[in-house]
Amino acid sequence: MAIHSYTLTTLWYDRQRFLPGVLAVAFSAVLTNLQTGLLLGLFSTTSIPIDHSEADIWMSAPGVLSVDLGRPISQANLSRMASYAAMEAPETLLLDYSYWLKPDDSKELCIVIGSRLLGRPLGAVRELTPEMRGRLSEPGAIVVDEAELGRLGIKGVGDNAKIGDQRVRVVGLVQGLKSLTGPYVFCSLETARLLLPGSFDQATYLLARCRKPEIASNVVESLRGHSDMSAFTKEEFSRRTRIHWLTQTNAGISTAFTAALALLVGAVVTSQSLYAAVAASMREYAVLRALGIPRGRIIAMVLALSFWVGIVGIVLALPTTFGLSHVAEVMGTRMLLPHWLLGSVMVVTMAMAVLSGLAALRSLRLTEPASLLR
Amino acid sequence: MKRSQPILQGIHLARAFGEGEKKTLALREVSIRLERGQVGLLMGPSGSGKSTLLAVLSGLLKPDKGRVIGFGEDLWAMSEQEREKFRLRHCGFTFQGYNLFPALTARQQLELVLTLGNHATAGHARRRAEEMLAVLGLADKAHLRPGQLSGGEKQRVAVGRALIKSPTFCFADEPTSALDWENGQQVVKLLETAAHQDGAAILIVSHDARLIPYADRVFHLEDGRMATQKHKSEIRKSKYEIARKEPLLRISDLELRV
Repeated sequence: MAIHSYTLTTLWYDRQRFLPGVLAVAFSAVLTNLQTGLLLGLFSTTSIPIDHSEADIWMSAPGVLSVDLGRPISQANLSRMASYAAMEAPETLLLDYSYWLKPDDSKELCIVIGSRLLGRPLGAVRELTPEMRGRLSEPGAIVVDEAELGRLGIKGVGDNAKIGDQRVRVVGLVQGLKSLTGPYVFCSLETARLLLPGSFDQATYLLARCRKPEIASNVVESLRGHSDMSAFTKEEFSRRTRIHWLTQTNAGISTAFTAALALLVGAVVTSQSLYAAVAASMREYAVLRALGIPRGRIIAMVLALSFWVGIVGIVLALPTTFGLSHVAEVMGTRMLLPHWLLGSVMVVTMAMAVLSGLAALRSLRLTEPASLLR
Repeated sequence: MKRSQPILQGIHLARAFGEGEKKTLALREVSIRLERGQVGLLMGPSGSGKSTLLAVLSGLLKPDKGRVIGFGEDLWAMSEQEREKFRLRHCGFTFQGYNLFPALTARQQLELVLTLGNHATAGHARRRAEEMLAVLGLADKAHLRPGQLSGGEKQRVAVGRALIKSPTFCFADEPTSALDWENGQQVVKLLETAAHQDGAAILIVSHDARLIPYADRVFHLEDGRMATQKHKSEIRKSKYEIARKEPLLRISDLELRV
């Protein structure tokens, strides 16, 4: 019988023996998917102002590492941007930290984002509906994420609060924009100028849309000729922000470490479970070696066994991953499971399963056929 | 007594285990000859070196000294791959513990050897397996797994696995030790048939003196040395009738003509 036929027969018949190995593979894949998905989801919140807006190009002060670390730049640069035929509708965005005063007089750090609201604004997140943007035109009007209400000490739309010394009023709530650091506070440019320090002719970012989005990187290259500003495409700035948070902050490093630990735990559990399952048949493999079955064919049998254990484990892992990530989302935790992550975890998990089979083969080398005669 | 040409010879074989004070000599200058179409019975007390001799002769354990010559070639001068090919082409084994794959049916246990070792097609392997199972008297149990077979049936499947590739040699380590005499007889008769009808050279390691009537040659090892080697014509019945169906045959009942 062919090797795969033997393997599948053995896996089914001895399913109780291989179940720990299959569950270990599934556990490893689920844990790694969720831990990495959590990491990606968590740090994707740091680039929300970029990812959820319509701007193709972001211009900032030189060397800005992350969207929340912008410094003032002159609005006069708008005219420079407008001179590029490939760009249209350059506009200003204000973004900075401030302090939210809660009813109990404690303070909460928040990120104020002020943008143009009329027409097709580039800086306003797309979750701000035209109706919400209409209400935000009122001075002091703000919109926050529904999940941040507790943090901000308010109950909902209509509540008043203070940011710095300025009174604000909540005129709308959005979902899915919970921040990793301080809650995002969306408002108009005019309201932001009241809430944030800085002169009237300054901006934090200058945004623009490309007439042809596919040439955004070319436009950015030409903008980089100016030494007094940095220029990024939307994707570049988003990635820059997330990488900064991932690699330069304790939160990022510790979360990445946890994800790596999840992979290591999964690898150890998988290897031990598979080792035990495969090693249980070592005497039978030793008989085949005694009968002269080539060592390579026996290795192929063990690797096929590990392979199919890996496949079954992954088949179990995928729906479990999606189910648990849905539970996490319902609980308010953002989780991202892009195709490349799922694919990479599948490949890594399969590699772990096969390597575990190879480790079990070490015991095959130790089980010489002559030992059957002792 | 006409001697046929030996096809496997062990010449002045020596093998020790352990080192220093714990070193034990399992084989001391043992020479043995296996001939085609004969059943050899290797007997001796526990620790006499029987299993070690079988392992050395069959290419599983390298001797410290001496040579094993098979078809004119020194087995232990071959590379590991060549010895593996030699075993694949010429050797069958059965062991005390059956060592059958628990998930495979009786037929699949035999097919596996042919498909993995001889690259047989699935159809050919199945036909040969079914033929062998019929010879083993297990045609109606082809679909059963080891957990559903008795001890005797399992050992017969193990013998079938050893013989399915029509080996030149078959080495059987205590094939009847875990069986009652009725089942044990069935197993040894299979090995006898493989020798006398198919021309294989069979070497059985056993404590069981009831197997002596089935042997063409009886080798007696003591303390790692070949004490006696007797052809069956040199083994004469004593006052007890040694019938193949008679149980409780004791070695002291036999007169060995020196």
